[in-house]
Amino acid sequence: MQFILDGLRGAFDLLVAGDPRILGVLGVTLTVALWSTLFALVAGLPIGLWLGLGRFAGRRLGLATANAGLGLPPVVVGLVVSLFLFRGAPLGFLSLIYTVEGMIVAQTVLSLPIVAALTAAAVQGVEPALLRQARALGASRVRVAALALREARVGVLAATIGALGSALSEVGALVLVGGNIEGQTQTLATAVLVRVSAGEYAQAIALGALLLALVFLIAAALTVAQQGEAKWQATRAS
Amino acid sequence: MAGDARVLTAHGLGADRGGRAVLDAVDLELRRGEVVALLGPNGAGKSTLVGLLAGLEAPDRGSVERSGRVAAVLQAPALARRTALANVEAGLAWWGVPRRERRRRALRALETVGAGELAGRHARALSGGEARRVHLARSLAVEPDALLLDEPFAGLDVGSRADLLYDAASVLRTERRTTLVVVHDRAEAWALADRVVVMLEGRLAAEGSPQEVFERPPTPAVAAFVGFVGRLREPGGVLWMLRPADVQLTTDGPIEGRVVRQVPLEEGLRLELDVPHGRLVTIVGVPGPAIGELVRVRVEGGVRFDSAATLEGGA
Repeated sequence: MQFILDGLRGAFDLLVAGDPRILGVLGVTLTVALWSTLFALVAGLPIGLWLGLGRFAGRRLGLATANAGLGLPPVVVGLVVSLFLFRGAPLGFLSLIYTVEGMIVAQTVLSLPIVAALTAAAVQGVEPALLRQARALGASRVRVAALALREARVGVLAATIGALGSALSEVGALVLVGGNIEGQTQTLATAVLVRVSAGEYAQAIALGALLLALVFLIAAALTVAQQGEAKWQATRAS
Repeated sequence: MAGDARVLTAHGLGADRGGRAVLDAVDLELRRGEVVALLGPNGAGKSTLVGLLAGLEAPDRGSVERSGRVAAVLQAPALARRTALANVEAGLAWWGVPRRERRRRALRALETVGAGELAGRHARALSGGEARRVHLARSLAVEPDALLLDEPFAGLDVGSRADLLYDAASVLRTERRTTLVVVHDRAEAWALADRVVVMLEGRLAAEGSPQEVFERPPTPAVAAFVGFVGRLREPGGVLWMLRPADVQLTTDGPIEGRVVRQVPLEEGLRLELDVPHGRLVTIVGVPGPAIGELVRVRVEGGVRFDSAATLEGGA
């Protein structure tokens, strides 16, 4: 018990002191999480709309693939991305291995199915008659898609929360692609791994606490937005 | 009619669902400024026709020519999770109306259908009748060259239905908007339309002014649909079809019949009578004759069809 209390005390000191190394790790964590989520949204929302609203052969297979992507083993994704990014590999010329940019690529691969699958599920719940009515009033495909996203915004926010949460807490894929290099490619989650291995529990607990706080803050902000919207809808409906 | 007066023309339109033709060989014109009522029983293909005319689906056969833009008000009053005003503005945005014009036009359209006070109300807080009004306003606001209304009064209670019918009739008739409106009953067609089209079993079965179609239906099937529910087979095989109003109970009537069914209605008692060579329907005051009682009737009016005519077949 004492051991945990010491760790928490050390964590508090580290956080209050504003250790530049920790701030650096925080910066890498946020960079990877925000950029990968952004890329996953840019690519995943159209894919989710296509899978959720499209009428084409193979749609069910596409949905099944997106849903299966929710369970992608991060270590395997990290391995595959690394195999493409190593020097001499097909994408080696991009020099992305052991860089933050490479980590963003790996994390985007992990976040993409989260956004696509949850968006597809959300837009499938939108009243088909509304989308058909929009088309009957001349709405373009882009406008119909925008309407579907707007109507399914509570579900789309859930997809965003999922993607961000995954990125903030990812370890396996980011260690393999980023190399977990202190001061360069280390994130809060991968740094915890190193500190625990080195027996530096105070630092591990400090980093873990910071990571939890970050996940909670971002998820809370998005949840407030999401539930505020849901509550507003419910209030208006009653 | 000059060619340039046609806003919408369907040539030999056909559509299949599940390997079955639900629409076949439909030729239809919609001329500028006219209001056409499309009538037919459930499953006649009316909504399918609206979808094809609006361009929501491609026909399996035939083609549609449009000289101008066509907007459709579909049967379900589906509104987005926004206020009534925002819904109408969204319709204008879909149509491509510049943002600066949307507010003014949306408010005007809501006023036109008697829903001005609903502008700030959220869609989920609207009653069925109010949602229908907003639904209608959303399409009136875009001011299309042709407007297709698919059962705009469906699912409303009698009072709301009548109110919306009078408002819609006023707008469509006053502003001479080119409109095809799918309706379920003759009263709505009378109130709204210059011309009536009857669809039966996926085909156009009758077309003309309301008076022509309702007073002189061209086939027994159309006659039955527009209310000529009594029928007598006369010597020589002529089929005489009669409305309840054409059949009068009277002690010195030339036809004797037996009451086989009676249904109480708001306006009296609906009687079905078995008579030699047919069955008649009439409405009498209460208390009327009992089931099994013999009565005498006089018949006048109705429509006659030659011996080859049958009730089978839509066209």
